[in-house]
Amino acid sequence: MLKTRIIPVLLLKNGVLVRSRNFTLHQSTGNYIYQVERFSEWRADEIIYLDISRESSHDTDTGNSVIGSTSSNISKNSNKDNDIISVINQISKICRVPLTIGGGIRSIEDIRKRLAAGADKISINTIAIDNPSFIKESSREFGSQCIVVSIDVKKENGTWMVYKNFGKNSTNFTIDEWIALVVSLGAGEILLQSIDQDGRGNGYDLELVKHVEKMVEIPIVVLGGVGDFEHLLDGHKMNRDVALAAGNIFHFTERSIVNAKKFLLKSGVNVRV
Amino acid sequence: MKYCSKCTYPIVAVNLTMSDENVCSGCITHDEKLEIDWEAREEEFKGLLFQYKSKNDNNYDCIIPVSGGKDSHFQAWYIKNLGLNPLLVTYYTHNYSKTGEENLRNIGNSLGIDHYVYTPSRKVIAKMNKIGFEMTGDMSWHFHCGVWTVPFQVGEKFDIPLIIYGEHGFTDLAGQYSMDDKPEFTKRARHEDVLRGFTPEDFIGKEGLTRRDLLWTQYPSDNAIEQVGLRGIFMGNYIYWDANKHVKIAEENGFKGNPEAFERTYRTMSNVDDIHENGIKDYMKFIKFGYGRATDHTSKDIRLGVMSKEEGISNVKKYDHVKPKKSLDYFLNMVEMSEFEFDCIADKFRDPRVWWIEDGLWWKDVIWGGVMSYGKCFLSPDQQSKYKRNK
Repeated sequence: MLKTRIIPVLLLKNGVLVRSRNFTLHQSTGNYIYQVERFSEWRADEIIYLDISRESSHDTDTGNSVIGSTSSNISKNSNKDNDIISVINQISKICRVPLTIGGGIRSIEDIRKRLAAGADKISINTIAIDNPSFIKESSREFGSQCIVVSIDVKKENGTWMVYKNFGKNSTNFTIDEWIALVVSLGAGEILLQSIDQDGRGNGYDLELVKHVEKMVEIPIVVLGGVGDFEHLLDGHKMNRDVALAAGNIFHFTERSIVNAKKFLLKSGVNVRV
Repeated sequence: MKYCSKCTYPIVAVNLTMSDENVCSGCITHDEKLEIDWEAREEEFKGLLFQYKSKNDNNYDCIIPVSGGKDSHFQAWYIKNLGLNPLLVTYYTHNYSKTGEENLRNIGNSLGIDHYVYTPSRKVIAKMNKIGFEMTGDMSWHFHCGVWTVPFQVGEKFDIPLIIYGEHGFTDLAGQYSMDDKPEFTKRARHEDVLRGFTPEDFIGKEGLTRRDLLWTQYPSDNAIEQVGLRGIFMGNYIYWDANKHVKIAEENGFKGNPEAFERTYRTMSNVDDIHENGIKDYMKFIKFGYGRATDHTSKDIRLGVMSKEEGISNVKKYDHVKPKKSLDYFLNMVEMSEFEFDCIADKFRDPRVWWIEDGLWWKDVIWGGVMSYGKCFLSPDQQSKYKRNK
């Protein structure tokens, strides 16, 4: 039987890593490189690294888009090192587990550059909705194992609806329609995130986790809401086939991933320790 | 510069962020505190403490790192009163005021708790002050390093896994995390938030410092952390942190506030121990990021509802920029530096998001509207280029 993957998700915003709540409030959790090193040392099965910066560059004069400047380091320019390619170059050097990169992808060329810089997989979201054939094109070009379609959903009148643009804009897709479509177009994996649960810390949307059981033959990674290691177990119990991802919680304690896995192993989950 | 619509923080404040409605994460986190079931949290805390209680009383139950201030007194008092046997641990900074020193010695004596005071060599610390200032813009770098290292070394040596700090400072002031996160101490936080991205190794070789001068800077290895089970937690995640209540409890147990007003803030009960805390260390925060202790204190007091925003702003106006004579002289004397040299070095750390140069003066936006100049620029023409603004 395959081992259940435990996957930390790192969010990069304006040059720092952040914790997120409902896709809107982002609080600083530090340097964009160092945590990759720690998570890698703590034996994460994979790392998903998403660039959620809203602007492609920021105005250092007004400081309006700056978040969480922590450093008084004289040698460090206060300019954002926003070039995601340079970020990937740096983190891929220290990352010893598969690395998925997402955020701001608009073309085949964007994917090529990220893979060349050291990404193992690419997560796409808005572009896939705007132009579904991009899924087909990219998986044909790079292989479907490389293309992760990230799906952000919000529950409306009892149905999960798909959102785009950092969860800001609704689409007309229901989750069932959209998953069927992305699978038929050749997506290799799905990163399924609940906007409602994001950053609340009260657990996955378990109905959602259950809902996708047996739906598709490609791997699904669930994300959003883990506030306690128990929640990972709850997710697993609900659907044994999903990979368990979380963002915020792994930032808060020392050796968080090691401890989460120890806990899961003790609870009978088949994880790699 | 964007300021919080509720308190006095600018958006560049360390580890702070703002919502789309211009409310800072510090205010948002403060509001979360009002919704928390503190009794349940306190029970959770007690459960956690007793889980670490030493078997058969053959060791201490936990470590409380203390500076000697009101919060130190409160923590020691609280944990002792639960019937536990804590060990107090202090990294002695060599910058204690007379009152601070008395307070430090008072805790263990008045509460009947053993106290481990680690005193690094003053000669080494003088060098650390100088290098810290020149390299990181913070003469108290050694202080942060000691406070967040020595208790863990003691924990490792004496096999005491649980280390209990007071408030999570960045969450309290800036809302770095949310109250439900219950952040614990990590190597990442130590490296980035506490040590500002520098390592002790950056100091070796400067001013003749060697590895053996800096043994107290070496944090336990991951293996040691695993073996001993070292865990640094923050009491403020579990106990509602009421400064006024803590002062009262501290005073009942012999704590004294600062006998005179500070130069840089109106509060006399906070940051009493180390003379640079409300002195040049904090002045450097103003130099770097354009805000100081008065912004911290007024923001806290506005959130607590004991100060109006107008009063807050007038305190910021009065205190934030003040150059603290007493602490400055103490530092200059310790490291044998002139005030001119100090100003030249300090200016190099100004953040261009905050400061610009015009007519040879430093300018920045101010919270009461408009812009103000704050004295002469000491940088060379070359160094000045990144501070010129296009109108």
